Amino acid sequence: MLETPVLCKRIPTWPWGDPADRAYVDYDAFVDTGGYVALKQALDMEPKQVIDAVKSSELRGRGGAGFPAGLKWSFLPPEDGQRRYLAVNADESEPGTFKDRLLLDFDPHQMLEGIAITMHACRLDTTYIYIRGEYHAQAKATQRAIEEAYANGIFGKNSKLGKINDRWPECVLHRGAGAYICGEETGLLESLEGKRGWPRVKPPFPAVAGAFGRPTVINNVETLAMVPPIIEHGAEWFKSMGKGRPDGAPPSVPASFGPKLYGVSGHVNRPDVFEDDLGIPMSTLINEHCAGMRNGKAYKAAIPGGISMGVLGPDEMDAELDFDIGKKHNCLGLGTAGVIVMDEDTDMVMVARNIARFFAHESCGQCTPCREGTGWMYKILLRIEQGGGTTKDLDLLLELAGSMGAMPGTTICGLADGANWAVRTILNKFWDEFASRVSVDRSVSLPVVGAGH
Amino acid sequence: MEQRDLPWIMKNSAGTQIERRDEPYFDAALRDELEADLMPKYPNRRAATLPVLHAVQNKVGYLPYQAIEEIAAFLETTPAEVLDTASFYDQYMTEPQGKYTLWVCHSLSCELMGQPDLLGRIQKKLGVGPGETTDDGKFTLRTAECLGSCGTAPCALVNDVLHETIDTDTFLRSLDDLN
Ligand SMILES: Cc1cc2nc3c(=O)[nH]c(=O)nc-3n(C[C@H](O)[C@H](O)[C@H](O)COP(=O)(O)O)c2cc1C
Ligand code: SF4
Ligand code: FES
Repeated sequence: MLETPVLCKRIPTWPWGDPADRAYVDYDAFVDTGGYVALKQALDMEPKQVIDAVKSSELRGRGGAGFPAGLKWSFLPPEDGQRRYLAVNADESEPGTFKDRLLLDFDPHQMLEGIAITMHACRLDTTYIYIRGEYHAQAKATQRAIEEAYANGIFGKNSKLGKINDRWPECVLHRGAGAYICGEETGLLESLEGKRGWPRVKPPFPAVAGAFGRPTVINNVETLAMVPPIIEHGAEWFKSMGKGRPDGAPPSVPASFGPKLYGVSGHVNRPDVFEDDLGIPMSTLINEHCAGMRNGKAYKAAIPGGISMGVLGPDEMDAELDFDIGKKHNCLGLGTAGVIVMDEDTDMVMVARNIARFFAHESCGQCTPCREGTGWMYKILLRIEQGGGTTKDLDLLLELAGSMGAMPGTTICGLADGANWAVRTILNKFWDEFASRVSVDRSVSLPVVGAGH
Repeated sequence: MEQRDLPWIMKNSAGTQIERRDEPYFDAALRDELEADLMPKYPNRRAATLPVLHAVQNKVGYLPYQAIEEIAAFLETTPAEVLDTASFYDQYMTEPQGKYTLWVCHSLSCELMGQPDLLGRIQKKLGVGPGETTDDGKFTLRTAECLGSCGTAPCALVNDVLHETIDTDTFLRSLDDLN
């Protein structure tokens, strides 16, 4: 268990504080409690040293994919005097995920400090914070923090950062308008350019040709907020938290270091965002952090990190929530660590139908397997839920789900992989429940030629 | 739309006239304001499409086709491109909306925590389904995907105000207090 909160230092959170006491931390309060010290330290370092510090901390992206942040930064080409961008992913739309919101609502300066350090390290002159359109209050809080940061010389003319690419550093809040796919990094860039949020075919990767065709770093809010404490306390401090590398694995294997924000929702007594080491068992999260299951019910299933990740079954309550969870528990991964807990009364057909509906609605429509597949999976699951399904439908669902995604290689982006894993793992782990809801298929396939004689 | 002699053509796009009025929706005052405050933040004009659509929709209540043309002129692009973008996003409306739009989240955490009852009873009270507006023009009901409030489910946005941990009775009563 984490001894002292890191990202929740100023945000009262169980067990260190009472969530009822949460309030916006303004620039002065932030500075009084040690804020912007790390930025000062970073500005005394060469940009490359900052990148190396983040690299050696092995900080992995907190937006869902877990890609090492320092490594991503090192893919940038050399400077050429033209613009280079930082795009901050504050689109947080994955069902079950509400952790970035906590930082944006109450302590956005942590993210802004991380942004400033990243701009210095990667020589990025302009930042766009892409925040989802439905985050009205969060956009206000973030805008307020940005204005405070400008007023105190973090961004803008005469910024502490000095000129980058011969420009004063700028930080702009950009509001989305209700489209999950804009959380996918290249969908985000298209949307930022004023277009529909259609993910791009990669390569080229954003580090080389991102926003407006220029080199661009894209990071999640929580990832960036983690950068200042790493600069201030060092990589070793960061690596003293979390799960570390699997036993016996060589240093090249990515590990699960550091603290993590977990958002827990569903059938628990105390749903909220909690901060703890990466790799704590889900049962600890449910029984201690969330004070147990609601109404004394028994645990049945959980989504480990947003609905794209698939499901954990009745015997997987002790699953360790780290970046290796996918391999160990046959799910897609840790995702956003937005845990959705379900009790014994939950209808898993309903869960699958709800998730399929989400993906059918949010598919951007570029790739046929995703556009058509998600729509048909939803219709089939609705039919099963309403009692009209047959055993054939279950096989069809598995075939459909398994064929879509960037990993099977049939689609442009990972939305379809999310639909794939969600439907497939729910079906596989709760097969009997689905089987009990369908009737045996009695239709007989007749040969077409000569049929009817 | 008048029915021509080609009944299989459902939408007479080429012949359709859009509604127009003399007074622009996107007026000079708003144009000047955005030109000064917003446009310098972007390296090209088209990148400001989303914020400009937000600003005009905030002012007018929705995005009439004439406004789309005015926005295109301002952004130095074509109306087709602006409409292409606007039609992709759930929050932009090209039809008039009720004074209050209720966005009821129906993603997983909310469905687990009682959203079907909430939505059902709102529908019954207002007499409209998702996507519809009450006859008095007061409420438009919509479903939304995850609003980032899963820990405080069920939830709904009333315009831009988020209601969390909704108790259906209290919520329904609060609708009566809106005017
Ligand atoms: C369909 C889809 C939706 C995504 N939505 C988000 C999101 O809302 N927020 C986020 O930070 N990352 C999201 N991602 C992951 C981003 O593509 C990207 O990996 C991430 O922003 C990189 O930041 P990080 O390395 O700091 O995690 C999404 C990915 C996919 C495929
Ligand atoms: S996989 Fe789906 S969401 Fe992603 S680009 Fe293709 S159609 Fe769009
Ligand atoms: S599922 Fe409704 S707010 Fe997340």
